Amino acid sequence: MNIIELNNVTKNYPLGNTTVHALRGIDLNISKGDLVSIIGPSGSGKTTLLNIIGCIDTPTSGSVKIEQQDISTLSDKKTTDLRLFKIGFIFQTFNLIPVLNVLENVEFPLLLMKKHSKDEIRNKSIKLLSEVGLQDHINHKPAELSGGQRQRVAIARALITEPSIILADEPTANLDSKTGEQILNIMKEINSKEHTTFIFSTHDHDVLKYAKRIIKIKDGVIDGEENQ
Amino acid sequence: MKLIFTIALRNLFRHKGKSLVIGIILFLGAFIMTIGNGIITGLNSGLQENIVNKFTGDIVLISEKQESNAVIISMMGKPIEMINNYTLIKKLLQGLPYIDKYIPLAQGTAMLLNEDGEPDFNFLLGVNFEEYQKMFGNLKVIEGRLPKVGERGLLLTDMNRKTNYEYLLNAWVIPPNTKVVTSNFSQEAKLSFEQHKLKIIDSMIFMGMNEKNSALDIKPSIIGVIKFKALNSFFGYLNLIDIESFRECFGYVTAQDSASSLDKDKSKLLAMESENLDDLFSDKQLFVQEKVNQNDYSLNNLQTKLEKKVTTNINLDNGTYNQVYIKLKPGTKLDNAVKKLNISLKKNNLGVKAITWKQALGEMADMATVIKVALFVFVMFIFFVAIIIIMNTLSMAALERIPEIGMMRAIGARKSFVALMFFYETLFMSLVFGGAGIVVGAIVIKILSLMNITTTNEMIQLVFGGDKFHPFLTVMDFVLCAIQLLIVTVIATIYPILVASRIKPLDAINRD
Ligand SMILES: Nc1ncnc2c1ncn2[C@@H]1O[C@H](COP(=O)(O)OP(=O)(O)OP(=O)(O)O)[C@@H](O)[C@H]1O
Ligand SMILES: [Mg+2]
Repeated sequence: MNIIELNNVTKNYPLGNTTVHALRGIDLNISKGDLVSIIGPSGSGKTTLLNIIGCIDTPTSGSVKIEQQDISTLSDKKTTDLRLFKIGFIFQTFNLIPVLNVLENVEFPLLLMKKHSKDEIRNKSIKLLSEVGLQDHINHKPAELSGGQRQRVAIARALITEPSIILADEPTANLDSKTGEQILNIMKEINSKEHTTFIFSTHDHDVLKYAKRIIKIKDGVIDGEENQ
Repeated sequence: MKLIFTIALRNLFRHKGKSLVIGIILFLGAFIMTIGNGIITGLNSGLQENIVNKFTGDIVLISEKQESNAVIISMMGKPIEMINNYTLIKKLLQGLPYIDKYIPLAQGTAMLLNEDGEPDFNFLLGVNFEEYQKMFGNLKVIEGRLPKVGERGLLLTDMNRKTNYEYLLNAWVIPPNTKVVTSNFSQEAKLSFEQHKLKIIDSMIFMGMNEKNSALDIKPSIIGVIKFKALNSFFGYLNLIDIESFRECFGYVTAQDSASSLDKDKSKLLAMESENLDDLFSDKQLFVQEKVNQNDYSLNNLQTKLEKKVTTNINLDNGTYNQVYIKLKPGTKLDNAVKKLNISLKKNNLGVKAITWKQALGEMADMATVIKVALFVFVMFIFFVAIIIIMNTLSMAALERIPEIGMMRAIGARKSFVALMFFYETLFMSLVFGGAGIVVGAIVIKILSLMNITTTNEMIQLVFGGDKFHPFLTVMDFVLCAIQLLIVTVIATIYPILVASRIKPLDAINRD
């Protein structure tokens, strides 16, 4: 079953008098539990594609379906809830809430859901933080962490809601290779354990060995695919 | 909820500079607003206390023929229309449950003549001294004394004595058989006195006009020189004179005339009474009343003619007045009372109408309203400025926090979450700083009130509502302050909230 279906998706950005064609017609199906890597040179449209899949950007044309649901028909509230309940994000740069400490940042999405008890949320957050090796830093503010630590907080935050899809835009780009490997290993582990669908972009060929499926993108179109 | 509040609160601490700016503005806004409200309340109750209780009562009755309502400071315009049927009016007023006290009087502009026969204007208020003191109790004698019961004469105001000295008489008036009180001199009089040039007199001649424009002179004995206890600089031009002398001066029907010509007028009066009062009073009552009056006159007629100065036992109410001042029972709504009273007056065909003290005061009440409105506008202006500054600061804050807010939206925070976060930030500031402003404002009001500030400046007296500055705050004022503060908070947050909730998740990512 396809958890994500993209049909002839294009995205144009107006830039002064010209138009940037960031995506020029993408057809893509991703099945549940897959671990997909999107690779392509800088400016090829990786971030744009992930943003559209993650419902934080809308395509200029074409359709996007998440779990069979056409997202272009959804209200802002529904789209927001879709992001909250179904999708986890790990951004290219580290996006944490500066005024919240590590623990609170991880708890944040669950608190928004208003579905779990306080204790449940706390225990789950602490457990996840120790899984990413941050059990000793739960009271730190984001500003007091290294880049790798912050990225791991972002992963824990993306995982806590047990989303069906996790999108990671170059999750290792700002990390040293050792930390990067650690993070990719965590992702791989969760993918095999929880059958969470992972999609991550990269332009680092070393990272590809973690993916089950590799999609090559160039100038806004899919340029080839590999399964391994 | 708690989550939003935690984030909002920490954001305030994170952006201390901005928070402080907003906090100080909210503090000052609330502070000034509280002070303003305190002054307005003090002014209101001051005016009420001083004007209503000491000078005019709540309601003034005037003749229906009276064109301008502003009868209390009716400058040089037409004379005030006469009221000739006070006894009937009195009967009606006696029966009305919402009326507490009332007093008839007559006000007019008389001419004061100097020894060369040159005139200047002086206001005369014809009253029954005893009743007047009982109703208002605002006279303070600075020379001479108050009149004895039934005594006829003039109570000259300190203010009129000074202006008369300066502009007309060139002589300093003192009550007969009293000594000059040097401390009461005006600047000019003092100078003349020191140069041994001050002329001192103990009588004055007033000339009134009746409707036929014939001049009538009176030379009332000067019983005392007075000041009003409150708002002297506004009402200090009103010399008090016994009502009979007033009537003589203005050619009104005096009680004595009425007594001596009773037989002649009796049939006329009787006819009128039965015409108008049939529906209200029984014939029997009328008969009794009439009989009493007749007794009064016949008994005292001779006596009063012999000794004109003392009018004991004459029923003064039988003469002419031109105003009736009415105090309402506490808790009576003024506008309601005026409406009800007018209906009763109309029904009984009494030829008079009821107006509020504010209408009767005309310009002066308007001025007080103007000052009240000005204060209010000033407070509103402060608010407006506060709103603009807070709005601007918050909008800037929203723009600065685009990546953060966009990211919150991206990971599932709804627009309402962001909106509430901003609202809580301002609300918290309002409560803490605005609340502090209200509390400090209330303390300052209390201190100002305890300081017992007094003024002789007329403009400032209008702001004070009297000579004394007694601002205070009622529970209602506090509620009002809180509501105003809340309005500021809400209005100031609307635009920043719009700005913040327009931030899209994508904005967070693009900014990196
Ligand atoms: N908001 C925007 N306005 C205009 N052009 C944009 C915008 N966002 C992206 N683009 C353009 O769209 C194209 C695709 O950009 P995108 O960020 O998706 O590339 P990418 O593959 O993620 O690159 P990188 O590897 O450098 O992150 C680029 O040419 C970029 O300049
Ligand atoms: Mg990118």
